[in-house]
Amino acid sequence: MPFHRYVELGRVVLINYGPEAGKLATIIDIVDQNKCLIDGPESITGVTRQVISYKRLALTDLKVDIQRNARQKSLLKAWTEADTMNKWESSSWAKKLTARKTRAGLSDFDRFKVMVAKKQKTAIIAKKMAELA
Amino acid sequence: MTAAATCSFSHFVVCLPSCSNESSQKPPRYYPAEDAKSSKSTYKVRQNPPKIRKSITPGTVLIILAGRFRGKRVVCLKPLESGLLLVSGPYKINGVPLRRVNPAYVIATSTKVDISKVDAASITDEYFSRSKDDTKEGEEAFFEGAAPKPAVVSDARKEDQKKVDAALLQAVAAVPMLEGYLAAHFTLSSSDKPHKMKF
Amino acid sequence: MAGEKRAPRLHVDGAILGYKRGLRNQHNSVSLIKIKGCDSKEDVDFYLGKKVAFITKAADGAFRVNWGKVCRHHGGNGVVRCRFRRDLPPQSIGGRVRVMLYPSRV
Repeated sequence: MPFHRYVELGRVVLINYGPEAGKLATIIDIVDQNKCLIDGPESITGVTRQVISYKRLALTDLKVDIQRNARQKSLLKAWTEADTMNKWESSSWAKKLTARKTRAGLSDFDRFKVMVAKKQKTAIIAKKMAELA
Repeated sequence: MTAAATCSFSHFVVCLPSCSNESSQKPPRYYPAEDAKSSKSTYKVRQNPPKIRKSITPGTVLIILAGRFRGKRVVCLKPLESGLLLVSGPYKINGVPLRRVNPAYVIATSTKVDISKVDAASITDEYFSRSKDDTKEGEEAFFEGAAPKPAVVSDARKEDQKKVDAALLQAVAAVPMLEGYLAAHFTLSSSDKPHKMKF
Repeated sequence: MAGEKRAPRLHVDGAILGYKRGLRNQHNSVSLIKIKGCDSKEDVDFYLGKKVAFITKAADGAFRVNWGKVCRHHGGNGVVRCRFRRDLPPQSIGGRVRVMLYPSRV
């Protein structure tokens, strides 16, 4: 099975581990087979320019058209033109991550409401199944 | 240097006038036979109001962790002087009456009920103290070998419960699903990690 | 499903790993407990001070409890040191312990 997401210039990347965990960044330059140079752009994602190991990254489907070692300004321009942040947030991967975050932040009352809603949903489905059977 | 009785140097018989600031004061005519000890200033023991953690405020929904009503969600009415919390179910919703609860055995949730209209000012620690008659009766009962008396809820308690709960139930009804929430038990299920849960 | 109402579970299960020890000496007064779901030193902070119950069944069928409390973390992966009123018996290693949610600091 062929790979579709490559480590390349402009590949948008999700940081999995470390102080910037959970944020997006772009690969600006490749250092060697283990690490690369990434940059936010800082004003959009909050990630500063830094060298990071591939082990801490997850490649996304998104890619941005930039030159090697693109400066903040051109990187920012490329991101806004491609509307990358919105494309990311509408992806199911990003939606799953936000859902996990919301679920972790629920209060006890919220959890109760979720339980009631699940019960109602099951009841509706069960009723429909009984009708079809 | 002032009068000998309270003077720290009272073992000197004569107050030297040259040392004193009030040179017009005559040396006292009478000296006590023994040194009178100056009374220490008594410290007034100031009882500070008990400290209760910030997450517990009047109106917070609490989860009771131990005791007869463990697992029940309950509304905190106010902290009492003894450091315990005054709590009510409300009784009609989950069967917890006006009761005192130790804050160490309680999880404070972030849900708050508006209890500005609830009047629980008359209920203090003395309200819950056992009457002296009961203990005497207990001794006699022990000797007679009688069965333990069933707890009888006095009418006064029932009245107070109704009074407090009347306003409380209105406040609870104002929030959607809160009544069902207070009626339900809190329980941990298999995937729950309390150290990761936000209450 | 809707029928029986079970008593709510208000404790977290833990496993008794053994005693605090070096390779050749063991200190029976401190037991090591692995709390379910607690996997790092940061997670342990919630459980510090919590009461721990080691429950046994006596010959006459009555339940007996040996109470203890969580004292501190042990290592960096969520294991915890506990002290009990009476030291845990060595037969209990591998056994179950209940970590209660009180005294609560939440």
